[in-house]
Amino acid sequence: MKKFIPLIILIVLCLFPVVIQNAYYQHLMILVFIWVAIGSGWNVIAGFTGQVSFGDAAFFGTGAYTAGLLAHHFHISAWWGMAFGGFAAMAVAFPFGWICFRLRGPYFALASLALNEVCRHIATIAEPLTQGMVGILIMPTFLSKIPYYYIALALAVLSVVFVQFVMKSKWGYYFLSIREDQDAAESMGIDTHKYKMVSLNIAAFLTGMAGALFMNYMGFIDPEVVFSLHDISIMAILVGIIGGVGTIYGPAVGALVMVAVHEFFRTGFFGLFKGLAAMTGSDAMISVAKTISHAHVLGFGILVVLVILYLPNGIVGDWDKLVGKIIPFKKKEAAS
Amino acid sequence: MDIFLQTLVAGILKGGLYGLIGIGMSLIMGVMGIINLAHGQLMMVAMYITFVLSHYVGIDPYLSLFITMPSLFLLGALIQKYTLNPLMEVDSILPENQVLMTVGIGMVLVETSRFIFTSDYKSVQTSYSDATFYLGEISFSVALVIAFFIAIGFTLFMFWFLLKTDIGRSIRATAQDKDAALLMGVDSKKITIITFGLGAALVGAAGTILMPIYYLFPDIGGPFTRKAFVITILGGLGSTVGAIFGGLTLGLAEAFGASYIGMAYDDMIGLIIFILVLLFLPGGFKRLTKI
Amino acid sequence: MKKSRILIGFLVALGLIFNFGISQSFAGDTIKVGIVLPLTGKLAKFGEIENKSFLMALEEINGSGGVNGKKIELIIEDTTGKPDVGRSAVEKLITQDKVVMLGGGYSSSVTWATIAVAQQNKIPFLVNTGSADKLTEQGWEYIFRLNPPVSEYPGAFASFLQAKAQDVKTVAILHENSLFGQSGSKKFVKRCEALGLEVVMKEGYEAGAIDFSPLLMKVKSKKTDLVYMISYIMDASLLMRQAKQLNLNPKLFVGGAAGFTLPEFEKNAGKASNFVYSATLWTPSVPYPGAKAYYDNYVAKYNGPTEYHGAEAYSAMYVIADTLKRAKSMGRDDIRNSLAKTNLITSFGPVKFISYGKKINQNKLPTFLVQWIDGKLETVWPEKVATKAFVYPTPKWSKR
Repeated sequence: MKKFIPLIILIVLCLFPVVIQNAYYQHLMILVFIWVAIGSGWNVIAGFTGQVSFGDAAFFGTGAYTAGLLAHHFHISAWWGMAFGGFAAMAVAFPFGWICFRLRGPYFALASLALNEVCRHIATIAEPLTQGMVGILIMPTFLSKIPYYYIALALAVLSVVFVQFVMKSKWGYYFLSIREDQDAAESMGIDTHKYKMVSLNIAAFLTGMAGALFMNYMGFIDPEVVFSLHDISIMAILVGIIGGVGTIYGPAVGALVMVAVHEFFRTGFFGLFKGLAAMTGSDAMISVAKTISHAHVLGFGILVVLVILYLPNGIVGDWDKLVGKIIPFKKKEAAS
Repeated sequence: MDIFLQTLVAGILKGGLYGLIGIGMSLIMGVMGIINLAHGQLMMVAMYITFVLSHYVGIDPYLSLFITMPSLFLLGALIQKYTLNPLMEVDSILPENQVLMTVGIGMVLVETSRFIFTSDYKSVQTSYSDATFYLGEISFSVALVIAFFIAIGFTLFMFWFLLKTDIGRSIRATAQDKDAALLMGVDSKKITIITFGLGAALVGAAGTILMPIYYLFPDIGGPFTRKAFVITILGGLGSTVGAIFGGLTLGLAEAFGASYIGMAYDDMIGLIIFILVLLFLPGGFKRLTKI
Repeated sequence: MKKSRILIGFLVALGLIFNFGISQSFAGDTIKVGIVLPLTGKLAKFGEIENKSFLMALEEINGSGGVNGKKIELIIEDTTGKPDVGRSAVEKLITQDKVVMLGGGYSSSVTWATIAVAQQNKIPFLVNTGSADKLTEQGWEYIFRLNPPVSEYPGAFASFLQAKAQDVKTVAILHENSLFGQSGSKKFVKRCEALGLEVVMKEGYEAGAIDFSPLLMKVKSKKTDLVYMISYIMDASLLMRQAKQLNLNPKLFVGGAAGFTLPEFEKNAGKASNFVYSATLWTPSVPYPGAKAYYDNYVAKYNGPTEYHGAEAYSAMYVIADTLKRAKSMGRDDIRNSLAKTNLITSFGPVKFISYGKKINQNKLPTFLVQWIDGKLETVWPEKVATKAFVYPTPKWSKR
């Protein structure tokens, strides 16, 4: 039974756009898939290898700009970015990791944060190359969401499967041993610097691919969009944390929750309150609707604080605990 | 020559303020070993308190220091007590959970402010906001000079506090070796709460004295958080003197960068210095001065 | 068992989304028009002014019978000032709300990203604020622009220079590093070359700086006659305050619209705002019918001042209503054709979409030069609409 669950999910997701033809929900699912890839990438370096990165946007943006600049300067399809974006991100990750992996813990985190900001500034200032804040605009290839949906789904599945594959390999054990105790790993003869590099480059590759897809899908990027510390780097971390750090399916759950919660609040419970307000015509409801849509990021922030406090290993990591708390009478079943 | 001198003045004055922003972060990083990514956001809260006091009650920004600092101390202490300390006990995979928690707290602070005050820009205008005096051709903004001296005053006070008082000694002991301090009978939980409170109060003071010359909106904290950790790394963890030196270095680097390379680069210059120091002088200036 | 629970959670979450989704659409006998504006985030201040102006115009239009017996329903989506969110919002408006046309956009970068979606879906989009030149230079036939592009903002200023300030020879340009700032400054350099002025300095900065004194000292050492700044309000205020502190005395300070025309600029910059010129697109004193009435009504209704962004939004609403009234059907192409034939006098000026240069569907409007004189924003050029005589050259700080 257990074995088939991923397969069932996959089938459900494949059928999704056929059943739900509303482009808006397809759009949300595409965002979820992109975040699954970013979150999985972050999870490899931070969740499994223990090197918390605050600079995922550097890789995401590099991937996105690779796609965008190829289309802009050489007039070739931005889809080539999907092929090169991941490698371009690795080209950023490699020297960065080479230099900065001598730093540990919070120092590495800070260095990656600085990398994020440096990349953003370069993209803003290097106008002849990147168009600066004018950004890069391409016309999306498809009008329909469905091709994007399946490409994004493929990317998400690929990243989850790839991470699972890596974590089952020898590399995976090296990563975990670095996370648990770097000195012990070192003394066991593991070249920690090398495997941290491997881990970072896997993360960069996945994130860069996601960036290239983002460019193709959104059709517009500028430095503040793709090199955003707040909207990309920190969101990647939050996706990982909410879903479950160091779990294979954590980023997928985190991505779903993040996009859902964001839209949930942004649209005022999907227009529920707006609808109520329109139906009842009461001013109180209108102001409730307005208040809620204004508080969409606040709601998300509170969720993050609560998750870290009560589910430090995320929804997936602390699933049993969560189930036990919410549905106490099912506790027995969960234990069995 | 004028450009050089004016840049020097600008860098030093700004650097003093940066130092004050950095001390709090430095203390927190030194004692708890965590990066407080809500640091700038705490400063933003202090600025809103200053704004409310000045705009609705009519209290001068400098006088409101007596209100903002205790409020921020309380806020910081509560954050440490109820959100960060519990994390020390729970079992989690990443040691950085506390850092990530500060990210969440930062978001909550920003969005709560946006909720209350909207995204509108706020500012406090005082009679001395624009006051200037001149030495030769070089101009000095009175408010910035006052801010500089207040910042230096606080730094000296902190220096004395950490060196001479019991609590100060306990804080330094915890920063140097947590386990040893515990064995010596230091209540490390209490120390962390006091430290976070102090850190918040100091950055609150920085926010308050910045208010007459700057402006305010909910997202203002982010850049200052970044500056604060650059300063901390430059100066060395837990070092007050280091923080002032770090602040001055960053202030001067930004000012000279803006004058001689280009204003668009000033943020990047700070970050590059930061990475260089991280790599080639780990431990910051503290390693050179030993204080 | 563990994994199956994950699955169930996944499915429950999905289910929730759809259930709530259904409750969203509630039909009525209205014509739906989608507007995207930054209602939260850093640009919310301007978004709010436009939002209120749209709603005010909507109330007036629907109050007097709507369009051909039907009422217009505005669906206003928040872009949070971010291009990617703006795109999602426009897609939602097109696919879910099935709006017949789109408007708003506010900042250049959000507008730029959103109009591409509109063009691709062949839905007419009336831009009313986004000002980067390239918006109407793409040959996109569904995109129309009510406001002049940023390169034409200093039009009145250029004629002022030629007529009244021929002794201005050198120029320093300071701009924020945003789409608006970067493109506006480049266009201004070209204009200076055309006028025979020498641009001795052009420098961008990251919005939100504390201290502009190194930048301003450089300007001072170059002794330029003219300082042209493209900034939003708070940077604008700090620039002027610090220019005063540094005793920077060019012949004139000129702002490139945006931050320099808002009441907050004067409030924050205080005395340092005095005698600062700015290009603008609209003032309450412009010679168009309804301009003053709009300003007065807005102030009375919302108890706060409005400015050119508001007038753009207010007039855009009237253009939309006029378009829908004349359209043969509510089909996208009929509305587009109707929009293309617009010939309406609004309180923002006459609206007629023409093609010139590389631009298509662009409304051409004269611009104005305003100057802060003793705490009031006075129109000073062209002379026939001036509310007060201009002060030139700007007196030195020490002599005020």
